[in-house]
Parts: sequence; C-alpha cells; structure tokens
Amino acid sequence: MITLMKTTFAIFTALTLASAVLAAEVGKPAPDFSATDINGKTVKLSDYKGKIVVIESYNSDCPFCNNHYKTGAMQDLEKDLTANGVVWLIVNSVNPNNPSHRTPEQAKQEIADKKIITTAWIDDSSGAVGHLYGMKTTPHMFVVDKTGTLAYDGAIDNKPDPMHDPKTARNYVREAVDSLQAGKPVEVSQTKPYGCSVKYAE
Amino acid sequence: MRRIRTILGGLICLAAFTAGAAHTQVRLILSADPAKPGDTIWAGVDMKMEPAWHTYWKNPGEAGMPTKIEWQLPAGVTAGEVQWPLPEKLPPADVTTYGYNDEVMLLVPLKLAADLKPGPLDLKAKVSWLECKEACVPGKADVEATLNIGAEIKSSADRETIEAWTKKVPHSAAWLSAHAWWESPLSVDTRPLIIAWADKADPKSGDFFPYASDNWEIQAATEHLPDDYSRDNGGNLRVRKIVKLFSGDWPKEISGVLVDGTGEFRRGIEVSLPISSISPRAETAIQTVPQIPSQPLWQMLLYAFIGGLILNIMPCVLPVIALKILGFVGEARSDPRHVRKLGLVYTLGVLVSFLVLAAFVIGVKAAGHHAGWGMQFGSPVFVVCLTTLILLVALNLFGVFEVNLGGRALDAAGGLASKQGTAGAFFNGVLATTLATPCTAPFLSVALGFAFRPEVSYSVLTLVFLTVGVGLAAPYMLLSWNPAWLKFLPKPGAWMEKFKIAMGFPMLLTAVWLFNLAADSYGKMVLWLGIFLVLAAFAAWIFGEFVQRGRQSKGIALAVALVVLVGDYAFALEHGLHWREPPTATAATEITKAADGIAWQAWSPEAVTGARSEGRPVLVDFTADWCLTCQVNKKTSIEIPSVRARLKSINAVALSGDYTRFPDNITTELNRFNRAGVPLVLIYPKDPAAPPIVLPEILTPGIVLDALDRASKQ
Repeated sequence: MITLMKTTFAIFTALTLASAVLAAEVGKPAPDFSATDINGKTVKLSDYKGKIVVIESYNSDCPFCNNHYKTGAMQDLEKDLTANGVVWLIVNSVNPNNPSHRTPEQAKQEIADKKIITTAWIDDSSGAVGHLYGMKTTPHMFVVDKTGTLAYDGAIDNKPDPMHDPKTARNYVREAVDSLQAGKPVEVSQTKPYGCSVKYAE
Repeated sequence: MRRIRTILGGLICLAAFTAGAAHTQVRLILSADPAKPGDTIWAGVDMKMEPAWHTYWKNPGEAGMPTKIEWQLPAGVTAGEVQWPLPEKLPPADVTTYGYNDEVMLLVPLKLAADLKPGPLDLKAKVSWLECKEACVPGKADVEATLNIGAEIKSSADRETIEAWTKKVPHSAAWLSAHAWWESPLSVDTRPLIIAWADKADPKSGDFFPYASDNWEIQAATEHLPDDYSRDNGGNLRVRKIVKLFSGDWPKEISGVLVDGTGEFRRGIEVSLPISSISPRAETAIQTVPQIPSQPLWQMLLYAFIGGLILNIMPCVLPVIALKILGFVGEARSDPRHVRKLGLVYTLGVLVSFLVLAAFVIGVKAAGHHAGWGMQFGSPVFVVCLTTLILLVALNLFGVFEVNLGGRALDAAGGLASKQGTAGAFFNGVLATTLATPCTAPFLSVALGFAFRPEVSYSVLTLVFLTVGVGLAAPYMLLSWNPAWLKFLPKPGAWMEKFKIAMGFPMLLTAVWLFNLAADSYGKMVLWLGIFLVLAAFAAWIFGEFVQRGRQSKGIALAVALVVLVGDYAFALEHGLHWREPPTATAATEITKAADGIAWQAWSPEAVTGARSEGRPVLVDFTADWCLTCQVNKKTSIEIPSVRARLKSINAVALSGDYTRFPDNITTELNRFNRAGVPLVLIYPKDPAAPPIVLPEILTPGIVLDALDRASKQ
C-alpha cells in the first residue's frame, strides 16, 4: 500500500507541474481547443471569437454542481446569458470508467430532463480540454471575452457549499459577463474554484 | 431475559450515539466522565469511512470540502477549535486534495464553566462532510453524548483512543528551525516559494500542507530540492512550492503543516512562517560584513580636500585643464590682478556647482531614494545635454565659431569656456565639476561614503561637498594668486592657437565617451543623437562662418543657422530619438565577456555565499558604464592576462555588479562598505569566515595580484 502510494506520488509532481504549466492564465489569450460535442460536431473556441464565452466544467453527480441545477439557478443563468449572445459551453471531463460518465445519448437525455440551455456539451472524456484549462473542480467556471482573452477563472459563486441557495450567493460568472458587456474591467477575475474533483482518468 | 435487554439496550445506545450517511459512520466520544466544573475535557468526533471512501482536512486542497462541526451545547460548556490529525495527500495528481482514508477522529476541547451544577449534560453536534470515492456524496449526521458533572474527574473508557489520536495532531515545535523565502521576485500570477527546515527525516519525504486562504493558494505539487550540505541554507529538507495569487497582495506569511518521515515515523509540525525576500544564505552574507567604525569629521574633511586635489589629474577633468591653462597663459603677463580675479571666480564656479550637487543629493535623499555619487549620469536627458555642450566646446576650440557676449545660450556656453572673461572662468569651474563627478579618486570615496551615510546630517554632507570643491579648485587658486609662479609658463605666441585646436580633441573624446553612455539608454536609436550632433555642428559652422566672420547678409545667415538648429532639434531629438522618453532599461544587464576574458557572472549576495561555501575565493567588481575610473581599472589591472591566469589558478569566482542604473541592492552593498559609489573591488578569501579584502580605488596589476595571493593563502 505504502509502496503504491509512494510510486503514485512519484508521478504526482511531474503531472501536476505539467498541468500547472499548461493551464490557462487570466489576462492572456484563452487556449484554443478542438473538441467533439455530443452531436458529433467539432467545436473550437476560435469559432466563437467576437462573442463572450462561458466554459463550465460539469458533472451532475457532484453534489456541488447538482445543487446549481437542482435549484434551477444554473439554468436561469444559462438562459439569461445565452439570450444576450453569450456562448455557453459545458465541458464534461469525466473519464469513461467512472460511473458519472455520460454517453452522448445519456447527455442528450440529461439536457432534456434538467432543461439545460447550452450552446454545446463537449464530450471531454479524454480530459484534454480539462487539462488544457487546468480544470480542478465541478463546477469550475471560465469566462472568455470577445477578443479571446481569459477574463475570469474560478468558482461560480462565493458559497462553496453543496446545500446553499445559489440565487442568494454572489455569482462571479454573471458579474464578469455583465462587466464585459458594459465594457468595464472585471472586478473579480480569479477565485479559488470549489466542488468535487474533476474525474480525470488515472 | 436480562441478556436480551442488555443487547437491546446496547443496540439502542449504539443507534442513539452513532449516526451515518451512506459511507461514513460518525460518533461522539468524550475523554472523561464524570468531570468537574472548571475542567477542560476532550471530545472526539470519530469518523469511520468505508474502504476507498475519504473525507477532507481543514484545507481540502484543490477540491472537496472540510468537515464541519456545529455544536449544540448547554450553557456553561464552550467548544474550542477543532484539532485535525495529520492528513494524507490524496491522488490524483491533477486534482490533489488533503484528507483521510479509513478513519479520522477530530478533537475538540470542551471547557466546562466553574459554576456548572452537578448532573448529566446532553452534548450534541451536527456534523457535515463530503465523502468521495469515485463520486462524491455530502454527508450529515447528528451525534450526541452525555457528560456527567460531578465532584471529581474520571477518565472515560475512550480516553486512551482520544489520546492516541491527539498524538496525530501536528503541533508547533520550539526546537524547529524553519525558513520560507521567495525564490524569485514579484511576478504576475504564480511565484515559487522555498521552504526549508532541519530534521532527521529523509529529505525526499518532506512536504508542506498549507492552511487555506481566500486570496491565494499554495499549489499541491511539491518539488524536492537537493541538499547541498552547507550550514546556512535553511535546513536539509527543502521543498519548492508554487503560490498562485487570486487577488490582493502576495502573502507575507504562510501557515500550515511541515510533513516529513515515512510510515510510522511520519509526522507533522504546525508552523507559521514569515516569508523572506532573500534566502537565509543571503541574510548570513549580509551579517558577516565587518562594520567599519565611524571616523571623525575633521579626518573626513581632510580626505575630501585631498580627494578634490587629486580629481584634477583624473581623466574626466583633463580636457577642462587644457582650457584653464590657456586662460592663464593668455592673461598671466598682462594683468596679474585680473588673473587673480579669474582664479577666484573659477573657485566660485566650482563651489557653486558643488552646492547645487549637494542640494540635488539632499533632495533625492529627502524623497527617500538612494543617492549615489555620479548619479546624474544615470539620467539620459542629462547625458544628451552634456554631450551637445561638450561638442560645442570642442567646435569652439577648433575655431568653428567664436563667442560674443550677446550670443545664444548654446553658442555662449561653447565660447565662454575659451574666452577668458570672468564669466568664462566661472563657467570653467562649473564644467570642471560636472565632468569630475563620474570619477572617484582615492580619499574622495571614503569622504563621500561618509557623507552619504543616512545618519549624517545634510549640513555635514554639504560641508564635505564644498571641501571637495575647494580641493578641486585649490591648485588654480594658488597659481592665480602667485603670479611669480606663472613665469614658468611659456610666453604667449602663435603656439596658443595651435594648442587651442589640439585641446579640442580631448574634448571631442569626452563627447564620444558621453555618446557611448547615451547609447546605453537609447540603444540603437542613439543614431538620432549622432544625427542631431552633426547637424548642430553644421548650424554652429553656419553661425561662425556667415554670421561672425561673414560680411554680408548676416541676418539671413543667422536665420538659416537658427532654422537648421531648431529643425534639427525637432527632427532628430524630439521626433527621431524621443530623447525625453528613453526606452525603459531592461532588468537584466548583460555582462559582455571577451572570448578568452574573465568569465564574469552576475553579482548577488547568494552568488557570493554560494562560491564561498565551495571554498573558492571571490573577486567582486562593482562597476558602471559612466564610471571612467572603473573602466580604466578594468583595462589596466583586471582584464589582463596575469590576473586572468591567477584567477584560474586559485579557482576563484569572478562576479560583476553593474551599477550603471543604480540598482538598490548594489547601493545597499556599497553602503555597507561605507562607499557612496563605484568603483568598489572586493576579494573574498578562500576561508569563508575571513572578511573580504577591500581594494583601493585606483588599481595597479600589482595590487590586484597581491590581494589574490593573500586571498588564496588564508
């Protein structure tokens, strides 16, 4: 057991440091990616240049993420933002061996059941987009401005609790998008994300 | 029957006192029962997780949520802070968390008021947590325990269990020597931090589990740094952690748990460390510099005077000497009284200039900045102005134009220097002072080092400056007051004109040197300065040829000269060079190495201690591009084959500190040796405990080689 842990830890540093190096940085261009959505279509971040893009790291089995959907708060946010021309991308980086994994069919069902409003649900079971952005938790939110620069990276709101009412919390994503649309600088551009860990392959 | 009841009762008790969510059983136990009023007992919130399920530490890490305990206690019972046993670092590497597998007991001290009445107390708590295996589930449980208040305190059956878990809680250790410092200066988002401590454990087992913060995060990845077995590197366990800043300022202090050891020897020590900006090594380096005792004022003034005297023969002041000589020769025989007056006025020019310098330095110090001798040469604008001035003086000496008292400022300046009126003598004094500043003579550096110390009053500083001025002006003052001595000078004649032209060349050389200085600030754009200077020279020629020596259309010629000059200024200096906004200096100054020259490395306190800890002597050269003495020293006594060879043979390290832009860290270092400016050349001997050898300002190869010998012997 100890030897196994030691060996695992031996790989820790390299992987974590590598992911830290590759992760996106606020104020710099958001890394472009080319991924497949649940409809089999190729989705690129550069497709949406000229629009504000919200990227959400998603896993509905995680109580934190689920809390936002259960209460309807996330759907409201998605509706408000997409109605204003904002692109909302869901990135599901759960690896195929994890029970929380969703096949494209299951994903489409979930969207219908939970009434999720999203421009595209990216099937990131390889974890490529997740690692590219340094996604740590579900939810972990990113906001990219119209020029393609990363304007926000962090928690969805200021209450890291799986039981709170999201509608009463301070929503950093809404704030960031509002600021960007008003042409004002984003006040809170980085926070510590909260939630369950992203279920990358081991 | 009784047995059944016991079993039933036991089961009910079990149900009452334990509770669980899907995968964790939680129960509350107490260290004593009964207890006395006024006692403090320990409550243990015991959490047993199913295999592969884990719960989280007070800082869960990159995901997860810490366990929360909400007490519902009767009056008179107060719960203290939760004591968390040392957690494990949980995989995976891309989202690292801190938590517990199998079981953890969170310990909480319960203080009992002194006025509690005897009897049973119902202690309840709501425990909420997050348990994860492949998916995460929030857990909640209500736990309770009964505590009897009695006349004495008696350990409960669970006391030993609680004590065993208490031992796993990291505590602070008084014997621990630990340091934390930033590895690199301020950066945008992430910054490496080094934490070092001394312990008997395997260095590869060292780690640091931070406590959580809202504004910044110490990332989970830990890099182990090799031990270099020196005394003052902070400790044998050294780790590098990356700190990520979300908002606000970088932390000045970090709290958390130092972890080392493996298996049953694994332990955590709670620490709260201030973060230093320099490594412990550099701090030690700073402390081992010998403190030079303060010297009496009269001695400093004497040094200032002698220093000023010697400045007369320094390469910086040489061109001006030529002009002074001309002045004396021209006027000496005709009017000794006039000469005397000129000598006085020249001295006045020098003294007034030194007063202005002193005022400038005081202004800089009062503003809270570091002041250095020769610092005006760090200003690109000043360098441009002076270069133009010197060029015009050279042109005047070449005879391109003469000076009339009513002329424009630029021409007037060039002409005044050679015209031997009182105004000319005064200006000579000013020019001599201006050019003297980049040079430091022996004695002068000691006096200036004294004057620049923070504890020295402004009036003393001014006095020292003025004394230097007196020294600088003294030879000519003396000469002008003793006409008898002037008879040793040659008779005036045609040679004077040729001498005047010849003296234009050292002046031109000074202009070239200043041009090179300007190149430091402007880079390749200095070409525009060159263009400006040539066109200014052209304007000067037009003025001289057509206005001064011309016979007709003087007005038009003057206008043309003006147009050329103004146009030149606007085109070359303003538009081309943007002379008032030089490009910002690059942080890293490159050290040029000749192909087979000395292998200079950048100076830093760490570099010095690093080399010394290897038992190597160190040669440190603080220099600046504008410091002529430094350049001369380098050419004659440092970058020479014998010194290069000696450095190699004694296995010395050569470090160069570039003071061209007055970096603060070098100013501090110079101040520690009681110097106000460069040059400063130090040789640290082989013996790490021995103090450095401070070389004199003017070097000879013999001085350097001798010092290197001494350094390698000790």
